[in-house]
Amino acid sequence: MRAVAVPGPDLKEPTRVRTYPVVRALLRPVAHMLPHRALAAGSVLGLLLAAVPRLYERPDAELGVGLLRAAALAFALGAAFLLDDPARHITAAVPTGRAVRVGLRMALVAPLAVLWWTAALLLVPEAARPPVGAMTLEAAATLALALAAATAAVRFSGQSEPGLGAAGGLLAAAVAATLLPVPLGLLVPVADPGWDSAHQRWAAVLAGAVLVCAYCMREAVRPNASRAALTSPSGTSGPPRR
Amino acid sequence: MSDTLTRTTTEAPARKPVPARGSGTKAVLALARFEARELALQIPVVAFLALYLGLTGWSLYKNPDDFPVLHDVDRATQSLPLLLSVMLFVCVNRAVLRSRRRGTDQQFDVLVVEPWRRTVAHALSVVPFAVITALVVLAEVYWAASRPGPAGHPSPAELAVGPLTVLLSGVLGVLLARLVPTVFAAPLFAIAAFVLTGTIMSVSGNPHWLQWLGPVVMEIGAAPLPSDLLGRPAGWHALYLAGLVVLMVCLAVLRSGGRTVPVKAVTALALAATVAGVYGQSPSESEELRAARLEATRHPEKVQSCVDRGTAAYCFFPEWETRVKDWQPVVQGVQSLAGGPAAAARLTVRQRVDARYGLESQGSLEPASEPGQVTVGTRWGGNRIPEFAVGVASVLVAGDEESVLDMCDGRVVTTMWLALRSQPEPMTALRNLRIDDSVKGSAIVLAPTDPLAMSTEQTRIVSELLRRPRYSVIPKVKAHWRELTAPGTTTARVAEILGVPAAPQGTKEDDSCAQ
Amino acid sequence: MFPTVSASGLTLRYGGTPALDDVSLRLEEGVTGLLGPNGAGKTTLLRVLATAVPADRGVFTVLGHDPGTAAGRQNLRRELGYLPQTPGFHPDFTAFAFVDYVAILKEMTDRSARHREVSRVLQAVGLSDVRGKRIKRLSGGMRQRVALAAALVGDPGFLVLDEPTVGLDPQQRMRFRELVAEAGEGRTVLLSTHQTEDVAMLCRRVIVMSSGRIRFDGTPAELTARAAGRVWSSAERDPGARAGWRTGLGSFRNVGDPPEGAELLEPTLEDGYLFTLDGEPVREAAA
Repeated sequence: MRAVAVPGPDLKEPTRVRTYPVVRALLRPVAHMLPHRALAAGSVLGLLLAAVPRLYERPDAELGVGLLRAAALAFALGAAFLLDDPARHITAAVPTGRAVRVGLRMALVAPLAVLWWTAALLLVPEAARPPVGAMTLEAAATLALALAAATAAVRFSGQSEPGLGAAGGLLAAAVAATLLPVPLGLLVPVADPGWDSAHQRWAAVLAGAVLVCAYCMREAVRPNASRAALTSPSGTSGPPRR
Repeated sequence: MSDTLTRTTTEAPARKPVPARGSGTKAVLALARFEARELALQIPVVAFLALYLGLTGWSLYKNPDDFPVLHDVDRATQSLPLLLSVMLFVCVNRAVLRSRRRGTDQQFDVLVVEPWRRTVAHALSVVPFAVITALVVLAEVYWAASRPGPAGHPSPAELAVGPLTVLLSGVLGVLLARLVPTVFAAPLFAIAAFVLTGTIMSVSGNPHWLQWLGPVVMEIGAAPLPSDLLGRPAGWHALYLAGLVVLMVCLAVLRSGGRTVPVKAVTALALAATVAGVYGQSPSESEELRAARLEATRHPEKVQSCVDRGTAAYCFFPEWETRVKDWQPVVQGVQSLAGGPAAAARLTVRQRVDARYGLESQGSLEPASEPGQVTVGTRWGGNRIPEFAVGVASVLVAGDEESVLDMCDGRVVTTMWLALRSQPEPMTALRNLRIDDSVKGSAIVLAPTDPLAMSTEQTRIVSELLRRPRYSVIPKVKAHWRELTAPGTTTARVAEILGVPAAPQGTKEDDSCAQ
Repeated sequence: MFPTVSASGLTLRYGGTPALDDVSLRLEEGVTGLLGPNGAGKTTLLRVLATAVPADRGVFTVLGHDPGTAAGRQNLRRELGYLPQTPGFHPDFTAFAFVDYVAILKEMTDRSARHREVSRVLQAVGLSDVRGKRIKRLSGGMRQRVALAAALVGDPGFLVLDEPTVGLDPQQRMRFRELVAEAGEGRTVLLSTHQTEDVAMLCRRVIVMSSGRIRFDGTPAELTARAAGRVWSSAERDPGARAGWRTGLGSFRNVGDPPEGAELLEPTLEDGYLFTLDGEPVREAAA
């Protein structure tokens, strides 16, 4: 945390000029604050799942699709804990906005996610590897959904640790997705004639999740009635030593 | 306290007596009740309970015409509780971790009800949900049994699987929380378990023992088998699941400090039960079962009894006796339309199954070669009824089922008219019987054994005949029965006999033989 | 009067540092205050007496129950109310549900009797109006009172309160003192605090600890009397004083051995406390 310079009077510059050094200084402490164990657990489980087809003599693409979906879900569940920040109520009042703080966390995880997904794809034997582009779209949409759930929880309920709720919601959504009727289905088999139209829906999910993320990363400037009622931090006498 | 303590004499208590309190067991039950209420207030639990109830209700109304086979209905109750199980697993896990997450451990650890008894209470908090599941399962079976013509008997062991999976998921959530006290473990574990049971274990084609390690083994096939051919180690599997439930609870209790002799004894017992269950369910089908399945497929008469009703003898597997009264009107209806010797021909309606490949066999039945024998399957209701009518009609027309294979001439019209005219809504029946749900053009028509083919012209003639009143067609059929059922009579000739005008443009391929 | 709590030779080390060093004490009915600087071992002593952590050496009994045996510890816990320094809460529980939950953990199984008892303690701490509110929507002072209600539920004979007045505003603190004073009627209350006013206002006895040892054990008046004739005022910080601080009036108040002719002041409990902590890091503690 020493890396963050105490803003002196000389730093009264336009925001844009100030953001870059702050971000650079924040990189290391934020990287240190990420929920490493959740991310690691999700990644490792995902890779294990992606490697399962190697146990089969003749794995097919359907098996690969199912397991890559499960792997992507595992990674996304780990990433749902990305915004957990026990000190959120302290950092909420600093001049560096939520968009920067949350965006930085996401940006730090993005390269990890890309590397992880590449590894997962490579782990699936070639015979069982489904269309890479379509699966990447699904994985990206799943991850975006997890992050959207977490950012939405932060914005609308002010929780400092939204991860568990977001992960639970994502899991529920995944279970519900298996029950979607055919014309709306997302989890279609490779050989299904609806594969392409399903991926148009996946793209819509991705776009929607990204929009929700972007919207929820902004901080409400005017008081938000629902949020105020939910979290009214009644007075200054918070619980001791928290 | 450590052993290094040196004891001193204790002073006399200087205070009024302790306020009245219940026993330890009562405290656990009160806590379980509290936790169950908390669980019931969790949105995911409520949502997925509602989803479970909704989907179950929908599945009951989905096929209102099917006649239930109760030793298949029992198995069908097993998969939907898994929905509830997933969410219970996550929420119970979260409830166990609540104290740790919120830092109330320090307050609660000095309270009278120790952590291990709290573990027991958490495990017990799932019981109401298992009871709800059991009630839903019983309602499903009761619903099926109260519909017309149920066959067979449900197996209590199969019915127990749904509630047991709900219990199992709950206690797994408790155990996981005691072993890995982090909140992100549960969702990840749920995925791993889903993949493990859904993709690796309970898939047909896997070794029998591996398949049965999963909580629910569905085994859905084309047609129900008699219960003695099921070969499902349902009792052992229920024992395995029950043992596993108790074992998980015991491990969680041991883990949270309840290392008492009774707990250890129950753990050993539960382990023994689980192992016994695995041992019992692991062997794949026995030679006897395979032989019995083969015999039921090849020589059903050896295990069937028959009853005479009117012109036909009805032979059925033991559990299907109640169906005879449903088959009989169909046979009579078709036969009453027939003419010549067929009107009084002696038929044998024989129930048949293809049990050679076990419960998941999807194959259709081979046509029977015995003259006058009509095949009926183990399913009944809905489309099965007109299909059976087609079977009866085709045997009346062609003599036996094997000969139907070569039937492509005018006899198709006779057969289809007989079968459909006996149905209350002939055109609907025609549409349902044809694979493409059409009433025009050529199509394949379903029957209990091999399907029939209808050409465009035959379809047109049959539709035309069905549009006419019964009394205008029946006398013609009876009068010309011999010619109508003679091999080689062309479709055009049949149309002529029955007074249907020829097609506007001369149709070349009026017989389905050409196709 | 019989001692309700009696301990002898309690010793507990964290690593090499002694948190409790041969502590012996006897408590009777009424409120006893436990004063001491941070790190003096107050919380450790309370945790040991509350059976949250076993001592390395030494024995103690509470109301005749010996926590050295499993049964004795259970019986002790049936008589115990404990409010830790930073109590946790289940934010999604209502105040009523939280206290009800604790009551179940105290083996109160009869539902209607338990609910009556929960209502009673919520009434006692003045939370009847917000009993149906979720804890996450309560203010800090209310949460602290929820925690006190949880400690009080089941009418325990021995109440252990670790800095219960931290984070309360003056009015809330007054109300809280009243509650604790009421609770001290007919039961033994051991209360740790940094606030000498807390002790002065509600304790029958006061124990001063530092470095894991008991430095003083007596009545508040006795503690105050220790500083009699040892508090004086000076224009500059007196280097001979054990403790000294600038008052709002610009002069310095000193505690220690006064020089000749010094302007002596009437001692307070705080002066007595500071005087007792001879050689300890007094300035920090008094801050």
